[in-house]
Amino acid sequence: MKRIWKHPEEPQNAKRYWRSVSELERRENFLKDLGQEFPAGDTLSEEERENGRRDFLKIMGASVGLMGLASCRRPLTTILPYTQHIEWMVPGKPLLYATTMPRGAAGATPLVVTTHEGRPTHVTGNPLHPLGGGVDSFAQASVLDLYDPERSQKPLGKGKELSWAKANELIAGAAEEAKKTGGASLGIVTGSSLCPSYLRILGELKTTFPQVKLFAYDAVGGEGRSSANKEIFGAGVKPFVKLGSAMRILSLDCDFLGVDPVSGEPIAAFTKHRAKDAKAADMNRLYVLENRYTITGGMADHRKALPASLIPAAAALIASELGDASAKALADTAPAGLKEWIAPAIRDLIDNKGKSLVVAGSRYGAEVHALVASINNALGAYGSTIELLQDAAGPELGTFADLQSAISAGQLKTLVSLTPSDLFYDAPDAGAFAKLVADKGVKVIHASLLKNATAREAALHLPAAHYLEAWSDARAADGTYSIVQPMIAPLYDGASRLEVLLALLGRKKLGPAEVATPAAAGAAPAAPAEDAAYVAVRDTFAAVAGGLDESKWNFTLRDGFLKGSAFAKATATPNVAAVAGIVAKAKPAAAPSDDAVEVVLVPSSSVFDGRYVNNAWLQEAPDPVTKLTWENAAWVGSITFRRLGLKEGQLVKITVGDTSVEIPAIEAPGHATNSITLTLGYGQKDIGVVGSDRGVDAYVLRKQPDVFVLNGAKVEALSTVAELAITQDQNTMEGRAVYREGTLDTFNKDVHFAQKTGMDSHIPENISFYKGQVGEKKDYNDPHDEGFDYKTQHQWGMVIDLSKCIGCTACVVACQSENNIPVVGKDQVRKGRLMQWIRMDRYFAVPKWGKNEVEQESTWAEDNPTPEQLENAEMVTQPMACQQCEAAPCETVCPVNATVHTPDGLNAMAYNRCIGTRYCANNCPYTARRFNWFDYNKRNPLIETKVAGITMNNLYAGPLGEKREDESLRLQRNPNVTVRMRGVIEKCTYCVQRLESAKILQKQVQRDSKNFRVPTDSVKTACQQSCPADAIIFGDLADKKSAVVKAKASPRDYQVLKYIGTRPRTSYLARLRNPNPKMPGAENIAVWSKNQF
Amino acid sequence: MGNFFPRWSNWLPLKLAIAVVFIAFGVSVGVAYYFTPKYTRVGYEPTQPVPFSHQIHAGQLALDCRYCHSFAENSGHSNVPTNQTCFNCHGQGKGGIRAASPKLELVQKANESGQSIPWVKVHKAPDYVYFNHSAHLNRGISCVSCHGKINEMEVVRHDQPQSMGWCLDCHREPEKNLRPLEFVTNLNYKAGDLKRADFYQGLLDKKVAAKDIANVIGGEGAKADDLGQLIALAEKTYGKEVTQTEVGTQLKKHWQIQPPESCTACHR
Repeated sequence: MKRIWKHPEEPQNAKRYWRSVSELERRENFLKDLGQEFPAGDTLSEEERENGRRDFLKIMGASVGLMGLASCRRPLTTILPYTQHIEWMVPGKPLLYATTMPRGAAGATPLVVTTHEGRPTHVTGNPLHPLGGGVDSFAQASVLDLYDPERSQKPLGKGKELSWAKANELIAGAAEEAKKTGGASLGIVTGSSLCPSYLRILGELKTTFPQVKLFAYDAVGGEGRSSANKEIFGAGVKPFVKLGSAMRILSLDCDFLGVDPVSGEPIAAFTKHRAKDAKAADMNRLYVLENRYTITGGMADHRKALPASLIPAAAALIASELGDASAKALADTAPAGLKEWIAPAIRDLIDNKGKSLVVAGSRYGAEVHALVASINNALGAYGSTIELLQDAAGPELGTFADLQSAISAGQLKTLVSLTPSDLFYDAPDAGAFAKLVADKGVKVIHASLLKNATAREAALHLPAAHYLEAWSDARAADGTYSIVQPMIAPLYDGASRLEVLLALLGRKKLGPAEVATPAAAGAAPAAPAEDAAYVAVRDTFAAVAGGLDESKWNFTLRDGFLKGSAFAKATATPNVAAVAGIVAKAKPAAAPSDDAVEVVLVPSSSVFDGRYVNNAWLQEAPDPVTKLTWENAAWVGSITFRRLGLKEGQLVKITVGDTSVEIPAIEAPGHATNSITLTLGYGQKDIGVVGSDRGVDAYVLRKQPDVFVLNGAKVEALSTVAELAITQDQNTMEGRAVYREGTLDTFNKDVHFAQKTGMDSHIPENISFYKGQVGEKKDYNDPHDEGFDYKTQHQWGMVIDLSKCIGCTACVVACQSENNIPVVGKDQVRKGRLMQWIRMDRYFAVPKWGKNEVEQESTWAEDNPTPEQLENAEMVTQPMACQQCEAAPCETVCPVNATVHTPDGLNAMAYNRCIGTRYCANNCPYTARRFNWFDYNKRNPLIETKVAGITMNNLYAGPLGEKREDESLRLQRNPNVTVRMRGVIEKCTYCVQRLESAKILQKQVQRDSKNFRVPTDSVKTACQQSCPADAIIFGDLADKKSAVVKAKASPRDYQVLKYIGTRPRTSYLARLRNPNPKMPGAENIAVWSKNQF
Repeated sequence: MGNFFPRWSNWLPLKLAIAVVFIAFGVSVGVAYYFTPKYTRVGYEPTQPVPFSHQIHAGQLALDCRYCHSFAENSGHSNVPTNQTCFNCHGQGKGGIRAASPKLELVQKANESGQSIPWVKVHKAPDYVYFNHSAHLNRGISCVSCHGKINEMEVVRHDQPQSMGWCLDCHREPEKNLRPLEFVTNLNYKAGDLKRADFYQGLLDKKVAAKDIANVIGGEGAKADDLGQLIALAEKTYGKEVTQTEVGTQLKKHWQIQPPESCTACHR
C-alpha cells in the first residue's frame, strides 16, 4: 500500500510566520524564486550576461589548449617528521589550550582552543571557568583573523614599509624624547577595558614618565555607563549583573544577548529560566524597549518599538514612577501611550522586588545609566540581581575630548595608539581629527592587526600580534584572573599591545626573535632569555596570586584562570543622591518626526565596530535580524519606508547636519517609525579583499564623542536600487508551519500543546512494508533485526530548545570553523549559494491581520497587514540544519548511493561518490543541503580576474582564474574533515569526525574489554559547544542517562514536518513565552496557541 | 545508382560489433588489473633519503615497531620518529653505536639544521580517507596485516593493495586477521605458534564464560565447563594446531569486534 503524501495546507488556526515582507505580501520577486532551491540558468548578472557566447568560446579554447599538460605521474609525497620531540605533541591528535580572548567592558571570554600540530583551528568556551560556557560569533571567528593573509605584516612608516630594526629605533627615539619632558609630550590611548598586566606596566610607565597622559577610547561607547557608575558607586566598583537571579528584566535598548553584552553572568544563566518541561507557576519575563529589532527584542515577552531618542524619557518615566523626584522633568517629555504601556511592566518589576532588574544600552549617556541605577536601587536589585564588585581603581584615563584638547593645545609630540579601535576611521569627525594630528605634528605610533586608516597614516605602524600569538592576561566579568597564552609563534612577528608598552620602557625588542648565536662546540648552549611579555604576565600573576607559586602558575596555565581570583564584593552602596545632578545635565531630545528623523548608530553583528571587517566568516554570517550579508544598510521601519515610497535596497540619502551618507534601505519589521538604524564598521577602504568597500561608513555622521543617537536627520530617496545579498528568502520552507510557540499559560493548561499543533494529531499510523533502515525504536532491537540497533550501536540525536535559542548565529560560525565550510562571496550569496550548514531562520509574525484586524487567516491574505501592524511584529528564530531523518527522502533519490544511512542513525554523505545531481537537495523538505557550485577553496570568490581581456569574477574564470595563494588560510582547516571539491553536495553531519574519534578513543581505552559506548554526553557537536544559550542538546539516544533522551521526553518536543514521516533525529522544543496579562497587547502574544483547544 | 559498398562490407557492422565487444572486454580487464592498487601500488619501493634498514632494526635486532612509531596506538597517525629517537642509540654520548657511519650523515645534518628528513611516503591514503592506526592496533589487527613483513624488508615496500575493496574484505571478515593484543607488533606471529591452553586461559581470565567460548568453537549447543574440555573441543574441531579461524572467531565474538562498514567510518 503506497500512500502519497500531500503537503496539507496549513491548518486554519495556525499562526503565520514569514521571513520577509516580500513573502508576506506574495510579491513577484519572492514567488519567482520560490521553490527553486538552486536557481539555475538565468542566474547571471547583467554584467555576466554581456560576456556572451564568444567570450565563452575564447575561454574554452584556451582551457582545452592547457589541458593535457598535467602529467599523470604519481606525485612524490614526503613525510616530514619533527626533528626534536615536542612536549605533549602526538602527531594526529589535537592539543587543547585554555586561554582567554580579551574583550570590551563586559569582561574577557574564557576559551579552549583546539590546535592541530601547532595550528589553532577552532575555539570554544572554557567549561571549567566560572563564567565559561558558549561563546559568541566574534570569538568563534577570531581564529580566522589569525590566518588572515591580509593582516598587517611589516612595520609601516607613513604607509611605507620599514624594517623592524628601524621600528625599534623609532620607538626608542620616541621614548628618549619623552623622557626629556618627563613624559609630558607622550600620550597613550588605550581601550577602556584593560588587562591586569597592561595596567601594571602602565603604572610602571607612569613612574618612568611621570607626566605621561593616558586616554581611553572605544569606538562604540560605554562612556556614559562608566562615568555614571563612577559617580554613583565610586571608583573601581563594577556592577555584576546576575541574569540567573533576575526573574523580571526590563531592557532599555540594551542588546545584552547580542552585541551589547552587560558585565555579568553568561547568557545561559538567563536562558536557563526560559525553558520549562513541566507545569510551572512562573518563569522569567523580559520587557524590551528598542528602536529596531535585536535578538534581545526577539527573546522578549513584551517588546515595544520606541525611537532611541525617547529612551531617556522612558528611563525617567520608570524612575519617577518608582519615586525618584529628580526624574520628573524628563519623564514629562515621554510621548503619549508610553506610560500606559510601561505602567503594568513597572508594577510587575515592583511586585518582584529583589528579583527584578533594569538594564540600559551602552550607547546612552550618563543620565540614562544614572536613572537606571536609581531604578535598580528602588527595586532592591543591588545585592540580589546586581552584585557590586570592587576592583582596584585604575589609573586616571582621559576621554576622547581630553585627547582632542591636549593635541590642540600642542602638548603632545608622540601619541601611542593601543586602542582596538581605529582612530582615524571611527573617531568622531575622524577626518578633522586626522588633520588636527597632522597639523600639530604629532607622531602616531600605532599597533593593529589590520592595515587600517590609522596604520596608513601613522608615523610608525606596528603589526599587532593576535591574542593567540602573545602572552597577556585579562579579567573576566566577575574579575577572575584569566590567562592569555600563545599557542603559535607570531606568524608575522607581530607585537602585542603589551609588548609595545614594554618596548617603550626599553624592555623588549619588537620583531622577529633573535636567532641565538650557536654556542661554541662543547659549551652548554646559553639559556634563551625569557620573553619580556611572559615575565611581565608572570609578575602580574604573582601580584594577583600573592606570590609566584610554581604549581599555582601551572594550574593557571592549564585551566586558563586562577581559581578564587574574582573581585571581592564592594562595600560601597549606590549614592542615589548623585543621580539628580547627572540627570539635570541631560537635555531631553524631541521625538523624531517626518522632517527630523533620528539616526541610531549601532555596532554590527558581523564586524562589530569595524575591527572584524576583514573576517570573511563574520561578513558572510547573515545578520541575525535583517539576514543581510557582506554590507550594511539603513534599517527603516515599515511606516517610514512606505511613506518614502522606497523599494528594497533603494538608496537613501541621510543628512545629519552638513554630512550625508548614501546607503541602501531595507524594510525592517518591528522598527520604530521615523527612526533609522545604521550599522557601524563598514565602508573601510584598502583594508583587504574581504573588507574593502563593503557597505557604507556611518561613522562620518557622528561629530561628537559618545553620541550614537543623532537627531534631526533628513532622509531623501534616491533613484538607484542596490543589489543586496539578503538570505531571508533563500531556502524557504515555503510557509509550512515549522515553528511552534505558546504562552506559559497555554503550556500549563496542556503541556503537550506543541505536539497537538497543526497536523501532528491527525497523522495516521505508518503502515509500511519497507523495513530496512526505517525500523522503529524498541527497547531492545536485535542486531539482525532490520531496525536501528539500540543495543550495541550509538544512536545519535539532537534537540534544539527554541525557548533558549536567541538566534545569535554563533553556531553558524562554529560550524563553519569546525567543518571547513568555504566562504562564497556576495555574488554567490545573492544567487542563493551560501554554504553554511546551519541556517538561522528568522521569522516575523503579526497577531492581527489587515484593516479588519483578523486574528487568523486561512489563506495568504489579500488584505495585507498594515504598516502599523508590521511595526508590532513578533520575531522568532529557528536554527535549521540537516535533520538526520531516519527515513530520509534524500537517500532514496541518490543515483550513486553517495548519501546513505549509517547504523548509528546518521545520514552520511560520501563526498567522493557524489556526482552532483542535486536530486537529494531537491527532495529535502528541510532545504538543508548545500551544493558546491565552484571550487571555493581553490579559487578566491572575492576577487575579479581578467581573462582574454574580459574582467569577471574569479570563480567564472575556471582554470584560467587565479588560484588561491593565501596559504595561511589553509592552516585553519580542520584536518579531520574533508575539504570539498566543486560539484558535490554537503550538509550537516552531526560533526561525524568528533563522533568517530570519540568511538575510537573509547576503543583505545577499552581494548579487549567490552564497553564500547562512549561515556554519557562526553561528545559534543561544534554548534552545541559554541551555543551561549545552551539551546542545543546532543547525544546518544541509546544511552538512557544522556541529556538528549531527557530532552526528547519533554512535552514540548516536536518534529518539524512530522506528518511527512521522515522521522527526523533532530527535534525542537517549542518556545515558551511568559506574557504579563496586564500589559496592553498581551492577548496577542503567541495568540494562536490559545486557539488549540 | 551504383553499388557504393562492396559485398564484404555487408558483414562489417557485425564484425565491428564483435570487435567492440572484445575490445571492451579487454579494456575492462586491463583497467581492472592495471589501473587498480593491486598493480599500481603493490611493489612501490622508493629509495629513501636515509638508507635505514627495517630488516636490521625490526628483524635482526627485533626492535618493537612502537619504539620508533611510538604513538601508533594512541593516535590515528603512526608517527615517523624524530632524530632524537635515532640518537638514543646512535648519538654521541648516548649509545654511540656507529655514530660516525656515513649513512647517518643526513640525520646528523637534520639535527643541526632543524630541517626534517624528507622521507618518501610509501603508503598513502587519499585525503578523504581517515584511517586510524589506534583503532586497529588496540583491537587485535597487526601491523603486518596492512604493511606486510616490514621486518624482512631492507627498504620499505608497498605490500598490500590498501584499496577500499581490500579494506572492506577485512572489515567483513575480521576473524582472518585478528590476534591477541600482545602479538600485534610481532610480525612473525602465526596462529599455529600459540599454545591452545594459554589462549583459552587468557579468555577465561577476561571473565568470558567457558560456555560462550565453546559455542563459538562448536556452534550453538556445544558445551564445555573448564579449560580442559575447551581444549578437547577445540582439538576435535580445528585439529592439533591452533588455527587463525579459531583465534579470530573467538576474539571477534568476545571483544565485540564490529568493524564499521558505513561510509562515515572512513569518510568524513
